Amino acid sequence: MIQTLLSPLHYEYMVKAILVSGLIGGVCAFLSCFVTLKGWPLMGDALSHAVVPGVAIAYLAGWPFAAGAFFTGLLAAFGMSFVKRKTRLREDAVIGVVFTSFFALGLLLISMHPSTVDLRTIVFGNILGISDPDIWQVVIISTITLAVLGTKWRDLLLFCFDPQQARALGFNVTALHVTLLTLLSATAVAALQTVGACLVVAMLVTPGATAYLLTDRFGKMVALAVSMGVGTSLAGAYASYFFDGSTGGCIVTLQALLFLVALVFAPKHGLLAARAQRHSAL
Amino acid sequence: MERLLEPFQFSFMTDAMLVGAIVGAVCAVLSCFLVLKGWSLMGDAISHAVLPGIVIAYAVGAPLALGAFASGLFCAVATGWIKANSRVKEDTAMGVVFTGMFAFGLVLFTKIKTDLHLDHILFGNILGIEPRDRLESCVVAGVTLLIVLVLRRDLLLFCFDPHHARAIGLPTRFLYYLLLSLLAATIVAALKAVGIILVIAMLVTPGCIAYLLTDRFPRMLWIATGSAVFSSLAGVYVSFFLNASTAACMVLVQALIFLVTLVLAPKYGLLARPA
Repeated sequence: MIQTLLSPLHYEYMVKAILVSGLIGGVCAFLSCFVTLKGWPLMGDALSHAVVPGVAIAYLAGWPFAAGAFFTGLLAAFGMSFVKRKTRLREDAVIGVVFTSFFALGLLLISMHPSTVDLRTIVFGNILGISDPDIWQVVIISTITLAVLGTKWRDLLLFCFDPQQARALGFNVTALHVTLLTLLSATAVAALQTVGACLVVAMLVTPGATAYLLTDRFGKMVALAVSMGVGTSLAGAYASYFFDGSTGGCIVTLQALLFLVALVFAPKHGLLAARAQRHSAL
Repeated sequence: MERLLEPFQFSFMTDAMLVGAIVGAVCAVLSCFLVLKGWSLMGDAISHAVLPGIVIAYAVGAPLALGAFASGLFCAVATGWIKANSRVKEDTAMGVVFTGMFAFGLVLFTKIKTDLHLDHILFGNILGIEPRDRLESCVVAGVTLLIVLVLRRDLLLFCFDPHHARAIGLPTRFLYYLLLSLLAATIVAALKAVGIILVIAMLVTPGCIAYLLTDRFPRMLWIATGSAVFSSLAGVYVSFFLNASTAACMVLVQALIFLVTLVLAPKYGLLARPA
C-alpha cells in the first residue's frame, strides 16, 4: 500500500512535475484574488485561449514558448479593449469574438504542422513531460510575477476595488490596468504548461473565489488562496500519476471540490451559516 | 478550374458542408439573442460543461446527446443557484462551475475506457461524421430552430427587457429556462461538427457581425444566418486545400467577416464614425 503511494516519488519527472505545479498553483492563486475582486474571470479565460497561437508560432519558429504566448496574449487584450471602446458591442461579446478567433488561428496553425506542435500539450498541458528550459521559463515568469505582486499589491488592490478612488489619489490607473493584464498573460502562459489552455482559467479564479467565501480580509484571502493553490496543485500532480497523466483534470477537480466545501461550510458566508442566521433572525 | 471543383467530388466534403451550414444557421439564430441578452459567455460555460455528461452517458449506455444536454443545463442552473445563494459574483461562479465540471470530465475520461476520441469531442470531426450522428445533429438543430423562430418575439422581449416582459404577463422564468435549454441543445447539435471549444465562436460571432450592421431584429437574424452559413461552406471548402482543421477554418472565416464589418459597417463601423 505504502509502496504504491510512494511510487510516484521514485520518478524524477514526477517530483519535478509536482514541484513545478505547486509553484504555478501558488502564483496563479495569488493573482486569482485580484481577478475575483476585479470581476475579471472571463478575461482570464480569454487570455488563456488567446496565448495558443503564440505558443504554436513560438514552437514552429523555435523561440521560447513564453515569448510568443505573451505577445499574442497582450495583442488579444488590446484588441478586446480597442473593439469595446470603438463599437456598441457588449464587453462579453467582444471577449468571445476575439478569444475564439485567436484560438481558432492557433488551432489552424497546429493542424497544418501536426508533427512540430502537439495539440494535446497545449490544450491539456504536459507537466509530466516538461523540459528543463521550459521549467526555467516558468520559474522566471513566476519570480517576476511574485515580485511585482509583492511590491505593488496595495496599488493593485485599490485599483481592483475602486478605480475611481485610485485615480483621485493620483495613481496611474492605465498603468495599473496594463500591469494586471500583463501579469495575467504571463501567468496564463506558465499555467498552460501544467493544466492546459482549457483549465488555466480555473487556476486563475477558483482559489480566489474559495478564499473570498472564507474571509473578509485581503491579507488572509491571499494567504488562504495561495495555500489552497499550492496544496491542490501538489496533490493533483501527485494524483495524476494514478490517473493517466490528466494533471490539469486532477488539480482543477480538487480546487472545485474545495470550493464546494467552502460554499457549504464557510463560517460566515457559507450556505449553512446563512441558514443559521435566517433561523436566529426569525 | 478542375482543381477548384475537386472538393465537391467527395461525398464527405459535401456532407460536411451541409452539416456545417445547418449547425452554423441554428447557432447564428441563437447568437442574436445571446448577444442582446449579454449571455455570450454562457455558451462558453455550457459547452465545456457537457464533457462529464458525455462520459457518464457513455458509461451507462445512455444516448450521448442526452448526457451532454443534461450536464450542460446542470452547469447553467448551478451557476444561477450559487449566484443567488452566496456572495460570489455570477461570472466567477460560472468560471468555477464550468472548469470544475470540465476537469471532472477529463478525470472520468481517463478512468472509463471508451472508444470516444477526446479530440473529436473538443475539436469536432465534421469530415468523418457518422450518418447517424449527422441525422441527430440535423434533427436537434431543426427542432431548436423551429422553437426559436416560433417564439422569437417573446424571447426577444425577454432578452431586451425582462421587466417589461414580466409586466405584460410573459412567463419569464419559463423563457429563461427555455433559452438555456435551447442553448444547450444547440451546443449538443454542434458538438459533432465543430467541437465544444469552437462552438462558442459560432454562438457569438454571427450575432456580433449582424449587430454592427443593423438596428432591426428580423434583419439581424437574416444577416447572422447568412454570414454563418457562408462561413461554414467557405471554411469547409478552404480547409480542403489548406489540409487544416475544418472547424478552425470555419471560425476564422467568421472572424474575417467580423473584422471587415468592424471596419466598414455603414453606421457602426470604425470608418463610419468621426474619430
